[in-house]
Amino acid sequence: MVLRFREECFQEMHAAISAEEDPADVNRVLAGDVQAFEGIVRRWQGPLVNMAWRYCRDRGRAEEMAQEAFLRAWRGLAGWRRESSFSTWLFALAANVFRSELQRFPTVNVSLEEAAEPAGPATQHEGLARKQSDETVRRAVLALPTRYREPVVLYYFHEMDVAAAARTMGLPEGTVKARLARGRDLLRKRFPHLNEQSTPPLSSTPRPKKEVLQ
Amino acid sequence: MKPNVNLETDRDANDVIDRILEAEGELIPSSGFLAATMERVRDEAAIPKPIPFPWLRALPGIVLAVAVLGWCGFELARVVLANARENSFAQVHLTAATGRALEPAEWVVLALAASMLSWFFARRLAGRSGLL
Repeated sequence: MVLRFREECFQEMHAAISAEEDPADVNRVLAGDVQAFEGIVRRWQGPLVNMAWRYCRDRGRAEEMAQEAFLRAWRGLAGWRRESSFSTWLFALAANVFRSELQRFPTVNVSLEEAAEPAGPATQHEGLARKQSDETVRRAVLALPTRYREPVVLYYFHEMDVAAAARTMGLPEGTVKARLARGRDLLRKRFPHLNEQSTPPLSSTPRPKKEVLQ
Repeated sequence: MKPNVNLETDRDANDVIDRILEAEGELIPSSGFLAATMERVRDEAAIPKPIPFPWLRALPGIVLAVAVLGWCGFELARVVLANARENSFAQVHLTAATGRALEPAEWVVLALAASMLSWFFARRLAGRSGLL
């Protein structure tokens, strides 16, 4: 609990520093200082690689896609109107890049119906079975139809913040909520065993939700 | 048949989905990611910006081309309409024969003039932009 609190404090502090540093670095880049872009890459490489990873679940490809997103950001830096925060602009741009990259070269996915059934509790090591089962559910997200997949990916990437996911997708919150509910509905139907797992393990207590979705 | 809807169970399942999808491990970018990205950015920055098309300089040529094309279109429409109005095969044959007789000198001169003009404009534009 204390760890979580510290982590959140750190994140808030990081966000505040970044909010000051990003515009300054952008100004320097626009004035011709290429090196200033390094600060932006350094601060945002983690979030962008993680976001790309959630889109494709392939580490190498995630880094390639994140790199492409940074390049596009570099080219279009003058297009940041400063009406929204730099992170909002960057995430929206990255989501566009990832979407079009995956349209050009789709990930090799099985359909939702063909997604492997998670190992049952009878497996010898319960912890390992739970881990495998969780990973299967995460991979199944990629098998969701595109219109439901992206809201699910972005909602959890933004730590269950519908508004942030909606801003990144450039869609109204209501649309994102509806698609998210449909996406989760599909996952629930595909994995009926989730209904029986209502007691989460102690090690992974869910964070308090910013918004309760049905 | 309508499936049995159990809101309580669905909510529990949603909680499980939340737990699974939110508790994703953090991926740390590889050590060379920053350097590789900056290298690509520097490469991109080193490429000279594309030369913008000199619209102002090209404007006279564009206007001339549009005027010539418009005139040709107008003349063609005029001849076709005149032929259609008179609706005479003899006239059409006569027009074609007359045209054939008059064509060479005028059109050759016009084509040469157009070629010279375009060559002159192309050289002028290339010379000013430092390509020649």
